[in-house]
Amino acid sequence: MGRAATWDTWRPDPSDARQHVAMLVDTSECIGCKGCEVACKQWNQNEVRINQDPGTYQSHPALDAETWTVIRFFETEEENGMSKWLMQKHSCMHCTEAGCVTACPTDALQYGDYGVVTLNQDACIGCGYCEPACPFDAIFVDRTAWGQRAQKAGKCTFCYDRIAHGMQPACVATCPTDCIKYGDREALIAWGRERVAQLQAMGYKNANLYGVDEMRGLHHLYVLLEPPEAYGLPVEPELSPVLRLWKYGLQPIGKAVLGVGLFGLVVNWLAARRVFKGGLSPQEAAESMHD
Amino acid sequence: MARRGGSIKKFSRVQVLFHWLYSGSWIILALTGIAFLWRGDPTEPAAGLGPLLQGSVGQTLRLVHRVAAIGLMTSPLVWLLGDPKSVWPDLKELFSFGKNDLKYMLIAPLYYTTGRGQLPPQGKFNGGHKVNFYVVFTTYFTFIGSGLVMWFGRGAVSDQAFHTAQLIHSLSFWLGSGLFLLHLYLTAIHPFTRRSLSAMVDGWMELQYARLDHSEWVEREVRSGTAQIRDAERPAAAR
Repeated sequence: MGRAATWDTWRPDPSDARQHVAMLVDTSECIGCKGCEVACKQWNQNEVRINQDPGTYQSHPALDAETWTVIRFFETEEENGMSKWLMQKHSCMHCTEAGCVTACPTDALQYGDYGVVTLNQDACIGCGYCEPACPFDAIFVDRTAWGQRAQKAGKCTFCYDRIAHGMQPACVATCPTDCIKYGDREALIAWGRERVAQLQAMGYKNANLYGVDEMRGLHHLYVLLEPPEAYGLPVEPELSPVLRLWKYGLQPIGKAVLGVGLFGLVVNWLAARRVFKGGLSPQEAAESMHD
Repeated sequence: MARRGGSIKKFSRVQVLFHWLYSGSWIILALTGIAFLWRGDPTEPAAGLGPLLQGSVGQTLRLVHRVAAIGLMTSPLVWLLGDPKSVWPDLKELFSFGKNDLKYMLIAPLYYTTGRGQLPPQGKFNGGHKVNFYVVFTTYFTFIGSGLVMWFGRGAVSDQAFHTAQLIHSLSFWLGSGLFLLHLYLTAIHPFTRRSLSAMVDGWMELQYARLDHSEWVEREVRSGTAQIRDAERPAAAR
C-alpha cells in the first residue's frame, strides 16, 4: 500500500483548529534509513550529536533534548529461526491525555491546536517533571548544553510550524517509502485497521494498530507487525493517578483552602481591632480603667 | 528595648538567628515555588505572572529555590551547634501537648477574635506554637526528602516514586503555607498577639504579655530563679 496510498495531498482545514491530525507509521514498510531523523534535525536546527555508540544500528541510543526522532532497532527471531529486524520511528506521541502536560508546573507544555502537545521553551524552567511523567521516554531536559536551549526541555513539535502553514511534518515529507502517513486522525485509524487486516491476511498474524486508545488516543499511530512490547512500547500506558491527584486535586484545593484561610484572617482582624484596642486584652483594658 | 512593666528573656540570640534563617529560607522557597501557580489562564502564557517568568527568569528562580533549600536544610545546625543547652528543654516542652494546650486550641480562636473566654495558663510555648512546630518539624523532613528526590532522583527512582515526591512536596507546601500565614498574622498583625514579636527580634518579651500568654512558664522561671527579667528603664542582670 506504500506509494499507492500516499497522503501527499492531505492538508488540515486551516479554519478548524479542533481537527485532530496524526502520523501513522507503517512499520512493515520502514527500511530504517533514518532519513526522518536527519530531516527532523535539519528542520528544527537541532545539534548533531555524533560519537555516540549505542552498540546497535541506531544512530542514537535514545531520544534526548536535541534528538526528537530516532529509529529504534529490535532484533528478534522468526519461527524458522531466522533473525528479523523490527524498526520503530520513535518520538513524542502527542497523547490526548499527556503525562508531561499534567506534570508541567509552569504550563510550558500544553494541548495545542490539531491535538498536538506544544512546548513553549520560553516558559520552561527545566525542572524535568515531564521526564518521568512520559510513559514513552520521549521528552528530555538538556542538562549539558549552555546554549539558547540549555536546561530546557525538548521534544517533537509535530512540526507545528509546518503543518500550521499547510506543509507536512519534515519526517513525513522526507520518508522515501512513504511509510509515515500524515492526515486526519480518524481517517488514518480507518486506514490503519484496513492495513492490519491486509497484513494478517498475508500471514503476519500478530499485526496490530497501536495508539488508538493508549493515553486516550495518540497522535502518533503505528501499524506493528508484532505486539507493542516487541518494539519497546508500553502496553496499555496510562496517566499516573498520583500525578492526576497532584495536578487536578491538590493544587486547586490548596489554592481554595488558602483563599478561605486568608478571608478568615481578614475577618478576624476586623473584629479583633475593635476588641483589643491599643493592643490590650479586655482584662488589661479593664485594669487600666480601674487604675 | 525597654517595655512597659519590664521584659523577660524568652529566646537566646542563637535561637532568634536560627528562626530567621529558617523562616527566611522558607519564604524564599515559597515565593520561588508558588510564583508558577499564578500564571492566570494556562492556555494564555501572557496572563497572570506569565510575562514575568519567561526566558531565563524561571530558570533563575529555580536556582534561587535550590540555594534557599540548602539554607533551609542547614539552618537547624545553627541552633544545634550555637546553643545546644536550650535544644533539649525546648524540644521537650514542644513535644509535650497537655490538656491546657488542647483547651487553648479550643478557646484561642474565639478569644483572639472577640476577647471572650479565659485562656488556660501556658508554658513557654502555647498550644498554637506547638501545633505550628509540629507542622514545621514534619514538613522539614517531607520537604527535604521529596525535594532531594526531585532534585537528584530522576532516573534513580521509579516514576511513581518521583510523582509521589511531587505530591508530598506540594502537600507539605499547602500545609506549611497555611500555618505560615496564620503564624505571620498572629505575630505581626493581630493587635494583641503581635506584642509577642519582640521575643523573636531581640529575645525579650514584654513581661505583662508573658504573664497573660505564658503564665505557667513565667511562674516556673521566677520560682526556680532562672528568669531573666529587666525593668522598663534599665537592663538588669539575671537573677
